[in-house]
Amino acid sequence: MLTRLYGGHVVDPVNGVDGVGDLYFEDGRIVAPPEGRSADVEHDVSGHIVMAGAIDIHSHIAGGGVNTARLLLPEAHRAHRPRPANTPLSTAGWSTFETGRLYAQMGYTTVIEPAVSPHHALHAHLELADIPIIDKGFLTVLGNEDFLLSAFRDGATQDSVVDYIGATLEATRAIGVKCVNAGGVDAFKQNIRHFSLDDVVPEYGLSSREIFQTLQRAVNATKIRHPLHLHMNNLGLPGNVETALATIDSSQGLPLHLAHVQFYAYGTEGKNGFSSAAARFAEKINANKNVTVDVGQVMFADIVTISSDVMKQFNSLPGGRPKKGVIFDGDSNGLGVVPYSYRVSDFFNAVQWAAGLELFLLCDDPMQVFFTTDHPNGAPFTTYPEVFALLMSADKRAQYCSRLPADVLELTNLPALKREYSFYEIATMTRAAPRKLYGFEDRGQLGAGSVADIAVYKPQPDKAAMFRSAAYVFKDGNLVVRDGKVSHYTKGRTLRVRPEYDRKINSRLDKYYDGLYGLPRSLFEVQDAALPNADAFAEVPCRS
Amino acid sequence: MSNATLDGKSISSEDAYEKAAEILQAANFPLVAGLGADVAGAQAAILLAERLRGAFDHLASRDSLADLEVVRSAGIFVTTPNEARVRADLVLLVGPGLTGYWPAIFDRLALDKETVHGGKTARRVIWVGPKRGEAKIDGVEVETIPATEAELPGVLAALRARVGGRPVALPAAAAKKLDAAAEALKSARFGVAVWSAAGLDSLMVEMLQGMITELNATTRFTGVPIGGRGNATGVLQTSAWMTGFPPRTGFGRGYPEHDTWRFEASRLVESGEADAALWISAYSGEAPPWEDVDIPLITLGPPGSAPKHGLFIAVGKPGENYDAVEFAQETSSMVLRRASAPAELPTVAEAIAAISAKFSEDLPC
Repeated sequence: MLTRLYGGHVVDPVNGVDGVGDLYFEDGRIVAPPEGRSADVEHDVSGHIVMAGAIDIHSHIAGGGVNTARLLLPEAHRAHRPRPANTPLSTAGWSTFETGRLYAQMGYTTVIEPAVSPHHALHAHLELADIPIIDKGFLTVLGNEDFLLSAFRDGATQDSVVDYIGATLEATRAIGVKCVNAGGVDAFKQNIRHFSLDDVVPEYGLSSREIFQTLQRAVNATKIRHPLHLHMNNLGLPGNVETALATIDSSQGLPLHLAHVQFYAYGTEGKNGFSSAAARFAEKINANKNVTVDVGQVMFADIVTISSDVMKQFNSLPGGRPKKGVIFDGDSNGLGVVPYSYRVSDFFNAVQWAAGLELFLLCDDPMQVFFTTDHPNGAPFTTYPEVFALLMSADKRAQYCSRLPADVLELTNLPALKREYSFYEIATMTRAAPRKLYGFEDRGQLGAGSVADIAVYKPQPDKAAMFRSAAYVFKDGNLVVRDGKVSHYTKGRTLRVRPEYDRKINSRLDKYYDGLYGLPRSLFEVQDAALPNADAFAEVPCRS
Repeated sequence: MSNATLDGKSISSEDAYEKAAEILQAANFPLVAGLGADVAGAQAAILLAERLRGAFDHLASRDSLADLEVVRSAGIFVTTPNEARVRADLVLLVGPGLTGYWPAIFDRLALDKETVHGGKTARRVIWVGPKRGEAKIDGVEVETIPATEAELPGVLAALRARVGGRPVALPAAAAKKLDAAAEALKSARFGVAVWSAAGLDSLMVEMLQGMITELNATTRFTGVPIGGRGNATGVLQTSAWMTGFPPRTGFGRGYPEHDTWRFEASRLVESGEADAALWISAYSGEAPPWEDVDIPLITLGPPGSAPKHGLFIAVGKPGENYDAVEFAQETSSMVLRRASAPAELPTVAEAIAAISAKFSEDLPC
């Protein structure tokens, strides 16, 4: 069935398109305008903005951490409306089902969960399989496990580390590798409470810097497209911009993605010893094109922090809002879940909010800076429309600033920044750039051959309303959202990578598991028989 | 041969599915309970409860909730058996009957072996309130702090008090023993408390976790909970991602509502609020907890577990008769259990699908 969207303003940065034009798709793929055929279905989208489906590169949507947060906070997700017929569980608050529905309604069609411990991969896949409509994938977390740290300590060859990463990606069916507070999670098990770039993990004699650098080189050598996705040390602490700057200085000229950098954009100025250092940070980012960042914008809302940086989460417990939390020392990994509430009247929260927007506005290239709230850590993903509106309007930011504590404005440059994002830049940040960051060849653009994941928005003065309720969303060519409401539920795919590696590593790993845990390694592998939809996987190609 | 019976008499599978659908569809507020099932079975059961606008509960909810009430009111420190195995230089066993709740416990925690990470040392093992004669582990010197079940809450409270340096009103000998234990806990590098909520109540778990929180002020200390029977933890996790809530959740108003009292299975049945029940106990064939209640009952259990009354449909044992995903105590994670004795029996999910296929069309999907 050939479908034509006509008359819309197409915004497609990958192909340099920014103007009125028609779009055709058939059998789930975008096609060139066919000659001598008329479309079977036509949608008049004149006066609308047409973009590829948006891609979220870092959002905690599934797995043990998210599920722990659900159980920790029953008060946070009560449902209030009966469900309509024919849509099972459509009214469950904060469920897998709701996650797919709410993302789709905003025009998002691909979302990456950024932190799954290798030993909990199956759980994450079970949840992902339950999320309707959108495609998804996850990063698996390495860099605090004994096997790897021992290998680094003992001077293992890079090839053997590449094999280990390959085997882990295969077993977990992940799309890339994240590293969280490199070495710090292990150090916390040894009762170390603060861990910076040059602190050394006891037992291994390795600094955080050495660990992330060695891992960064190895990830690069696997030829997977997504660079090492790094959660740096000292998240949330005053003055931590120094750690961030030093990390960029240590990035070896190789690709490196720094996660939720707003949480590292802090100086120590002012009477509270806490200020925005976003300007210095942005300058550094602009000057280092090998580095990409996502912002992790804070919005004023009740949230819950979910992080594998268990040391940081432990230190956050006393400040929890409400004061409760889960601290999990996992297998060679960790997890902390601590609720929090960002308040506009709170000096620190207001600085965080301003610092995030400063980063957005001061980083020059929207291909280098990614749109995230680190959902749900900085804000729920449902606040994205409001953040888009803030980026697109200096007036809207001024309205927000008028509500901030006066002393905050002295410690940020935000009021002076008049930049306003265009639709083209928004599309770059949420479509073109994620396509490049994850090496997607089939999405993030509207050229022929791409999957027909398409979001159509009706422009209106209230940009947040526009982005909150897409007029049309097509997933693989199926109309799934009409006027901001899901009209049709589909099953999405799970995206994974499968780099080449020497299978000889498997027998070494089997022996290691047997020796250390007395358990077969296969117990932790994701196998087809465990999944409701083993055929839903799609492979993201590696570099050749 | 059919694997279904009605009031003890064999009937065909087709008739059984037809009858089950009839019972559930005729009910005003059906209960899906037991839920002793693998993840796929639990998913099917919860979707069924939603479709029928009924409620669901798990046969070991009491135990899951004893831990969960602590999580959601105060928080919790937990680790995995693997991490305890490689790292725990002190293991605090809490309460009686731990080997009953987790037969492989001592072998899995390798209590007789040295730690591997964080230093290689022998482990210190302290057991508060073991059953008489229970505190014997091959190759391990177990220090015991005796306490009967009735005394256990007070002893835990006193131990926590001494960890925090607060006074206790105990005879000198008992206080001295507790002080020694408190010192041991405080000097542990990576201490791990192991408990089963089946043997404790929420307040005792909270007391234990409160003590762990205080110990973490100066050292590292955490816990390994022993989960409830019948894949209680796996079903809890599944329920959480599907509905946002643990079991004891109802859909009567058309959206999930969680209430540990309102949606408790026995109460729903005994009060007459539930007017039909689907009881699932695929692992063990455990019978429903309610007594002398005559509401239409459908049971899904392993062959041989048919009750005298009501409709029974035999299903395979998860992980034994069919490949199944469940929460593994030994890893604290979801794992695939390959069938060790495959059998020609429906899975829980298949049985529910077969029942659902018989619903008349006026029920929403």
